[in-house]
Amino acid sequence: MRKEIVLLLISVVLLPFIVRPAIATEIWIFAMFGLGLNLLLGYTGLLSFGQATFFGSAAYVAGWLLKHYGINVLFALAVGTGVGALSAALVGYLCVQRSGLYFIMLTFALNQFFYFTAYQWTSVTGGEDGMPGIPRPSLLGLDFSKPIVYYAFVSAIFLLSLWAMKRIVEAPLGKILQAIRENEVRAAAVGYDVPRFKLAAFVIGGAFSGAAGVLYAMLFGIVPLEAIGFVFSGNVVFATLIGGSGSLYGPIIGSVVFIWLSESMSTIWARWPMLLGIAFVIVVLFLRGGVVEAWHRFSRLRA
Amino acid sequence: MASLLKTESLSKSFGALAAVAGVSLSIEEGSLHSIIGPNGAGKTTLFNLLTGTFPPTSGEIFLGNQRITGTPAHQVAHLGLARSYQRTTVFPAFSLLDNVWTAAFATRRDWKGLLFKKSSSYDDVQERARQALGDVGLAEKQNHLAREISHGEQRQLELAIALAAAPRVLLLDEPAAGLSPEETRRMVELVRSLKGRYTIVLIEHKMDIIMRVSDRISVMHFGRLIAEGTPAEIQANADVRRAYLGGMAA
Ligand SMILES: Nc1ncnc2c1ncn2[C@@H]1O[C@H](COP(=O)(O)OP(=O)(O)OP(=O)(O)O)[C@@H](O)[C@H]1O
Ligand SMILES: [Mg+2]
Repeated sequence: MRKEIVLLLISVVLLPFIVRPAIATEIWIFAMFGLGLNLLLGYTGLLSFGQATFFGSAAYVAGWLLKHYGINVLFALAVGTGVGALSAALVGYLCVQRSGLYFIMLTFALNQFFYFTAYQWTSVTGGEDGMPGIPRPSLLGLDFSKPIVYYAFVSAIFLLSLWAMKRIVEAPLGKILQAIRENEVRAAAVGYDVPRFKLAAFVIGGAFSGAAGVLYAMLFGIVPLEAIGFVFSGNVVFATLIGGSGSLYGPIIGSVVFIWLSESMSTIWARWPMLLGIAFVIVVLFLRGGVVEAWHRFSRLRA
Repeated sequence: MASLLKTESLSKSFGALAAVAGVSLSIEEGSLHSIIGPNGAGKTTLFNLLTGTFPPTSGEIFLGNQRITGTPAHQVAHLGLARSYQRTTVFPAFSLLDNVWTAAFATRRDWKGLLFKKSSSYDDVQERARQALGDVGLAEKQNHLAREISHGEQRQLELAIALAAAPRVLLLDEPAAGLSPEETRRMVELVRSLKGRYTIVLIEHKMDIIMRVSDRISVMHFGRLIAEGTPAEIQANADVRRAYLGGMAA
């Protein structure tokens, strides 16, 4: 564990010198989004195909308050975390009783419902044009309009959420969610109310993804309609699987790979998503544990 | 001796099939009560009813003085009923210790620290988990993954998960299913060693085991109870011989 943390801290320091600070910032935001998803996907074994619901809802609500009331940045984060948790509670409540394909389709359908609500409600969300004009108010004299300062802030929030998520998955709750993933019948038989624990995974995961949504809105100064769309939901699943859903660090590595590829390749080669497609096929066929597993295998080979 | 677990005309139908039909059963505290019967007699379904996997079509279940009919499975576990499964039902990617830890934590008196306390820092749970593994003879393998141990060891783990809950009643569904003669012999010793410490209800196919360990035996046939008595009485019972023993025990 120690080694991973050190490696991560070095990456946080070096990243803005390797790629533009805005992209570096987006990478950690997307990683936070993935941390939330992975509590459902990797730990509980639930393929949620609607995680953007929580990311987008939080971005809209906090973005709107930032835009019209210029609220404090930390307050905006708290609101986004709450909205993420609340929307996840709603979606989770409707989904946890289903399983398999029905579960996946329902998370997707509810995501579509939120998407079309945002699409239609133009007076608030701006519909297709998105919700522009979201400020990045200073906090305690820190001028967030400077990209590198905002990067430092986002990095700190990201590391904080990683720490919190680590605590959660190493606590009994993390073990119980994994037990549900491993064997629902036995988990219930030994005394766990399975639907309630699944709901808890939704709510906590939604809170993390919601916080990420707020940081995203402030980064670009706009909530684009895509932030609540199914492509975003798919991307975060994609990135997490490539990184490795079986590990706490999987979604982080996945985010680095995904955002870095999409930013650097999209200008050079219009068909760059093919690379992701190939990476995905490799993961599904040979590397169920994603990049994290590849790394473990490689280290074992060297040893 | 008082009865600890009791059913009154318990029935369960799957469509037109009466899997369990009007079963009235009384299990004495501290006894080992076996349930035998041919394939499809309804034995596992009876366990599913007792543990709240699904509610009965009709009839009642009592634990002590408490009516527990229709109580869902996760709550039944907290009332002190623990079961093992005929088909191994464990947490495959977990270590053996994590398997029993999960069961031991579930029935802890409170879940303080559920969100933020390190799992490994619950000394009482850890202790109970180790104890359960030790009881079935798997202490040395505590760090092995459940999916990587032998079938025989998985059957032992199956039992350890039930024990880790520190239950009042232990429901064992064919603990020796699929075991070699040597493994079966050890499993019988294991069940015997648990006698007296728990109230045990045992489903078993192998007659020699049943006759050796049971205090009482109930015989099921097509969902009904057709006989009940001591091992000697059951062996002498003509109905049982006709329905069941004739083909099997020879
Ligand atoms: N969930 C279910 N849905 C439909 N039918 C079921 C279900 N569970 C059991 N049955 C049927 O109920 C009958 C009793 O099955 P049960 O598993 O209780 O028998 P058993 O006595 O445990 O048999 P065995 O000795 O083979 O384990 C069988 O005919 C079985 O097919
Ligand atoms: Mg059975």
